[in-house]
Amino acid sequence: VKLENVAVLGVGMTRFGVYPERSERDLAREAGLAALRDAGVSFRDVDEAFVGYLAGTPMTGVRAMKEFGLTGLPVTHVENASATGLVAFRDAAWAVASGRCRVAMALGFDKMTEMSAGARSVSRGVGRDVIDSVILPAAYFSLWAMRRMHERGTRPEHFAEIAAKNWNFGARNPWSDRQPDHEVTAAEVLASRKIAEPVTAMMSCPVDDGAACAILAAPELARRLHPGRPLVRPVVSVLQSETYARGHTFMGPVVGPPSMTRDTARQAYEEAGLGPEDVDLALVHDAFATEELEYYELLGFCREGEAEKLVEERQTWPGGRIPFNTDGGLIARGHPGGPTGLAQVFELTRQLRGEAGPRQVANARVGLAHLVGGGSVCTVSLLKRD
Amino acid sequence: VSGTRKQRVPIEPGFFSVPEDPADPPHLLGSLCNACGEHFFPRRAVCAQCLAQDTRDVELAPRGTLYTWTWVHFPLFGSKAAGHAGGYGVGQIDLPEGPRVQTVLSGGPDDFRIGMPMQLELETLREDKEGRDVVIHRFRPAEEPP
Repeated sequence: VKLENVAVLGVGMTRFGVYPERSERDLAREAGLAALRDAGVSFRDVDEAFVGYLAGTPMTGVRAMKEFGLTGLPVTHVENASATGLVAFRDAAWAVASGRCRVAMALGFDKMTEMSAGARSVSRGVGRDVIDSVILPAAYFSLWAMRRMHERGTRPEHFAEIAAKNWNFGARNPWSDRQPDHEVTAAEVLASRKIAEPVTAMMSCPVDDGAACAILAAPELARRLHPGRPLVRPVVSVLQSETYARGHTFMGPVVGPPSMTRDTARQAYEEAGLGPEDVDLALVHDAFATEELEYYELLGFCREGEAEKLVEERQTWPGGRIPFNTDGGLIARGHPGGPTGLAQVFELTRQLRGEAGPRQVANARVGLAHLVGGGSVCTVSLLKRD
Repeated sequence: VSGTRKQRVPIEPGFFSVPEDPADPPHLLGSLCNACGEHFFPRRAVCAQCLAQDTRDVELAPRGTLYTWTWVHFPLFGSKAAGHAGGYGVGQIDLPEGPRVQTVLSGGPDDFRIGMPMQLELETLREDKEGRDVVIHRFRPAEEPP
């Protein structure tokens, strides 16, 4: 169903990175206050909040919300693995669109550096030799890539070119974790440490801490508070879990088959009355560069078997037909988990308002955000400037 | 002979058979939907295709075809096997009945190609307190076509 009567009122985020000295609440407060400032409202105006994180214990979200004050508002925890932030955004958008509240907040935060440290100590001695162990995510997405290389003749250079593009987008984004001081090349990406064939370290996202926040509100409020600012609306926000098909792998995969992305995107386009030809930029789950190439096709930006051509023709590069991951994506901007989807909303909102500085996509009117999450789920949101 | 043979136990019951004689092939334990005929691994009570609450336990073929694979350039966490120190293979194997199974692979980085026949085997992980071998299922390249 299409979202009506809801707009993005404000966005805020911390730069993603490694912050051993900062707490989750500290990061959450910085992002949330930045979003409230951008929205031009007080926390007292927020009627409902949806808060997402992966690394914390139960109650962490409700407790973090106290950083902004204790106003009695309803707070709901949202968790969908890597897709968490976009799902919190979806819930906040629907809370406003349904008419049950006027202003809703979606907040995501995480300290993945602490989560991965914990996971390492658990795996020592017990390890991956359990019956239903989730393999290294890089290995899982490499299974996709190896199959694609077999079927389509994709070369590791294609994946390396995508990774280099995202690193170089990161250099143009002050909120990106990775901001290389030189033009990253595919050769450099290929020469970095091998993780799982064909993925190298520079094709992989970093382990990050950070927070991001979006404030959703009725469009009239956005127009009244910011008369000169382009109005950005969520048009659809679709969430799917896996659909059974022959060849489904029940044990071990990190996420479901690639077709999840195609199915979720189709539903999003259908409900929005938009097609891939209407989209000006896309932010996707490039935890590994190998994934981004698949999403070119699965999101409908080219026909099956033509994703390699998009890379060769630089169509997803700055100034290309459909720039992908303009903020650096998970690979450069970073992927703390809970806030990742809200960082995508942050970037899309700034792009659609024309506030993206050196990485601005000219005349951006429609943006797409896509994430997959372990378990597994896929979510696609389309945002549009009036 | 059987008196000197070491007893083997699965790392978790219900996923694969452990034949008494190590020369006998092990089988993955799956389900067959009585209503629509779809096979599954691992076992499940409700059919994922037609939702019938009517499945029965079956043993699946111990051979399949390699659908995809990768070589992970890290030691396999927790594995004592010397062959895992420099990394390990992971793959998805299509069984003739339909299920696609993801497991760690036995073999070296140059041993795999998509479409090759694969054979199920049991690998010993460690010895338990009673002196039995704890085993897990793996697939390795099959010597001859299935």
